[in-house]
Amino acid sequence: MRPARQPTPKTTPSGVVFNVQRFSLHDGPGIRTTVFLKGCTLRCFWCHNPEGQHATPEVRYYPDRCIACGQCVAACPQHAHALVDGVHTFDRARCDFAAACVTVCNARALETEGRRMSVAEVMAEILPDRPFYELSGGGVTLSGGEPALNHGFAREVLRACQAQGLHTAVETCGAVSWTALRALVPHTDQFMMDLKVIDSAKHRAATRQTNERILANARRLAATHVPLVFRTPVVPTVNDTPADIGAIAAFVRQLRDQRQARTAADAAITYEIMPFHRLAAGKYASLGQAYPAAAIEPPSPATMAALAEVARQQGIATVNRGDGRQP
Amino acid sequence: MTTATVSPLTYAERIERLRATKLRLTQEKVRELGASDMDDLPIRLPPAAARKMVRGVNASGVMAFDALFKDFVVKSDHPSGGIFGARACGENFRALLDLHPACVDAASSLAGGYMSHFTAYRQPAWRPEFDYSHLHALQQKYKLHHGVGAIQHFCQDQTIGLRQGWGGILARIRHYRTVNRDDEAQSLYDGLEHFVLATQAWIGRHATAAREMAAREPDPELRQNLEEIAAISDRLVAAPPQTFREACQWTLYYQLAGKVYNMAGALGRIDQFLYPFFERDRANGTLSGEEAIFHLACYFLRDTSYTQIGGPDADGHDLTNALSHLVLEAAHRIRIPVNVGVSVGRNTDPQLLRRGVEILFTDRTGTPKFLGVDNTSAGFARNGYPIELGRLRAYSGCHWCALPGREYTVNDCVKVNLAAVFEVAFKDLMSDPAATPSVDELWRRYEQHLRCSVETVGRSLDFHLDHMYEVFPELHLDLLCHGPIERGRDASHGGVEFYNLCVDAAGLATVADSFAAVEQRVEREGQLTWAELNHWLETSWAGLEGEQARLLMKGVPRFGSGGSRADHFGVKVARSFTAIVKEKPTPHGYNLIPGIFSWAATITMGKDVGATPNGRHARGSISHGPNPDPGFRRDAAPTALALAVAAVQPGYGNTAPMQIELDPGLSRSGEGIEQVVALVRGHFALGGTQINMNILDKKMLLEAHRDPSAHPDLVVRVTGFSAYFASLSPEMRQAIVDRVVAQE
Repeated sequence: MRPARQPTPKTTPSGVVFNVQRFSLHDGPGIRTTVFLKGCTLRCFWCHNPEGQHATPEVRYYPDRCIACGQCVAACPQHAHALVDGVHTFDRARCDFAAACVTVCNARALETEGRRMSVAEVMAEILPDRPFYELSGGGVTLSGGEPALNHGFAREVLRACQAQGLHTAVETCGAVSWTALRALVPHTDQFMMDLKVIDSAKHRAATRQTNERILANARRLAATHVPLVFRTPVVPTVNDTPADIGAIAAFVRQLRDQRQARTAADAAITYEIMPFHRLAAGKYASLGQAYPAAAIEPPSPATMAALAEVARQQGIATVNRGDGRQP
Repeated sequence: MTTATVSPLTYAERIERLRATKLRLTQEKVRELGASDMDDLPIRLPPAAARKMVRGVNASGVMAFDALFKDFVVKSDHPSGGIFGARACGENFRALLDLHPACVDAASSLAGGYMSHFTAYRQPAWRPEFDYSHLHALQQKYKLHHGVGAIQHFCQDQTIGLRQGWGGILARIRHYRTVNRDDEAQSLYDGLEHFVLATQAWIGRHATAAREMAAREPDPELRQNLEEIAAISDRLVAAPPQTFREACQWTLYYQLAGKVYNMAGALGRIDQFLYPFFERDRANGTLSGEEAIFHLACYFLRDTSYTQIGGPDADGHDLTNALSHLVLEAAHRIRIPVNVGVSVGRNTDPQLLRRGVEILFTDRTGTPKFLGVDNTSAGFARNGYPIELGRLRAYSGCHWCALPGREYTVNDCVKVNLAAVFEVAFKDLMSDPAATPSVDELWRRYEQHLRCSVETVGRSLDFHLDHMYEVFPELHLDLLCHGPIERGRDASHGGVEFYNLCVDAAGLATVADSFAAVEQRVEREGQLTWAELNHWLETSWAGLEGEQARLLMKGVPRFGSGGSRADHFGVKVARSFTAIVKEKPTPHGYNLIPGIFSWAATITMGKDVGATPNGRHARGSISHGPNPDPGFRRDAAPTALALAVAAVQPGYGNTAPMQIELDPGLSRSGEGIEQVVALVRGHFALGGTQINMNILDKKMLLEAHRDPSAHPDLVVRVTGFSAYFASLSPEMRQAIVDRVVAQE
């Protein structure tokens, strides 16, 4: 049993962060620092950040680093670790995530995934790269997981960034309450929102959630003035047909047209498609999880190019992030 | 009878042919001579019938063969059999160059090639009566690269040669021979004259060979090319060059003669000293841009010496010109290891940087590199010189700059291995029964030993400067310096205006991480006692318990991670080194300039040092230049690297270059180029001085490491220099793989 998600303290918000990635080049304009928050409402079977799904810290295990020293065996009160014939075994069913094993594991074969951080701690990681943000037109991106799940914390990080004059962006799956998402709007200079499938039943089959709330949030975000990039991870068996992408692109164009009708200025709604990749396989293994997308082949560059063309034919500016190279 | 019309070879086809030849010659060298962790020197093997193979430990510390001319007989007047002093060096060099056949390739617009290093025959290298055994104990104790016997590593002024030609230089030697009549001067003039006469004869042989080849060449275009080479070479025996192509040819002959003499590799600012010829030919309508690129490409295929493009004049105005861009294009066309540095400064043409980054991503040969010219100029001024002088220092070696023709530097020849100094301090502390071990006490002793090692370097350099002219004078560089001929003094002995001697630190991260690990694990957490740590260092972390202790120490946040204690110690180590070097000049009053650079000697310097508290095994590599060790952060963020390296700059004009490996995927959709441009600018804005950058495809690199023949043309920037990956030692290949693989 996983412990229930801890309530966020009201006075000093904090969040469970699983990665602060500096020199991040694919999460918005320029050189960015991307802060990945743990916890997501969707369970996309191809998810490339499985460590972002659960809201609480987890224990990762890398067998190839283990030197079979036995320190974790002694440290774990739950007896989750054992040395059998000199080989370390880890019974995750017994693990209570107290991470006593991680503390004693000098080999770093056991690592905690996720660390509770204050806004100040996150800012201390973000600010050193300011010269690079300024020279490149970059900034800070909150991602996850779903950053709006812990919107109190996310909002404060964004607010602190804007107070420092840094460009802010949020990557969202959209499967959160509008209240949560709306809280971020005043402090966000750009949203990047995933649209995976337009057909709700199909969406549910792929992500375990229907998409009505996502589409509603997309319309609401489109009704603001914040620049907005819709993105689709192209996953074979899920959404790699011209019909799938055409439907999403048509939806995006509709939102773009509505915004354009409202504002004379540049509508600033664009679309991107990104190819599914299998780089996450190792992450699933280290978290002790099966990799549900193991049998899926990444879409070919030709497929990506054809799908980008389909989207463009719907009348929406489309960036194809799959030019044949692994992201 | 009809004549078949043969379309002439394009420049691109000729370059491709020359490139293939170079690759073949390189593979032959690796096969015959073994691996080498140094510059891709354009040396060719002597003809099979004329060579003999000798076995020995090469400069990379690897057992390898050296190819010598078997007919060369040393003419020594010294009981040791060595070749010492200007006269003997000149005379013997002349005999060696006389054995060199001409190297002419019908596809190349430039002739010249070399086959042997004079240094290989100069045994012993140091003149035994100049005894410095009084310094040996300390030099050995601190494992110093102390600089006694250091050769070249300063920069000539190419404009002297281009203005005067060999005839003019010879006339000047003969004139000043009548002015300075003392023995030292007369010996120098004898040596210089031998050098010039040998080079003139060698150039003349190229004219003859080219003419003979032309007579046999069926292709009319190549025949014409050979006839032109013959005519140009004939003229250049005595006359100064008149055209751009002649200026390229003059420079190449001069540089290659220097390669034979003492492997001199400084080119200086090629886009400046060739520019008057370029501009004149362009104005006359006799030179197209494509032809200029072709001559430059032919040049780089024969000489990969270090050159700067763009950058300031004395007043700070940018000197980037049309030729600067063509130099970059030439490097791009040939895709071999070349050493072109692109100036990056407030006033420098931004197009040069942008195009440089594009070429880096397109070619993936580690070319060009980037020079923080504002910071090196301003830093040089902190030695008490006007900044105008700092701006004139030209990039001309692995990590270094020098005033062309005016400054003697021993750049890159003096290394203080900080890891070795740390080891001495640690042992000193642990073996002192009166001492209570603490990080403060360890630091105090470390600084004390560091000071002693820098003082030893100072005394060594004084000794070097007292005697080098009577051992192995700088005949080649002297010819194009302001002073040696006029004064009758070698550049190492008062021949030039300025003496600013390089003292580089190596192993910064090894020491910073070691201090941080001791502080955290021993002093703060008490997870190991000092005695236990000492035991593990002495046994190099033996056994399972040792491995546990090693991983415990290694797990401390590292230099480069940002805001860590190791980052604190990194800055402290750099500042302390800088302060100690700048405390005083050498005892004879020579200025010392600190830098941080290990060259490719991380492996060999590491072999001198036992296990260190950062979890490094005994004899393992020390850290690279001012760089953090691989794995310093989980995201290996280039910005974190750039901040860390910028924070440890000594700041006196010599560099602490950032070595950085980037993934080729960054350039997708063109935005990556702009972001790498921002990364370069950001590092220099923070105080950085030089960037060596590789764009490496991990998969290809791993394949090439497993089987070097799989990618024979893979070129990497090893450190300040670039080289064919397949020509490197297995250990160096592994070190480069580690740099890339750690970025997971």
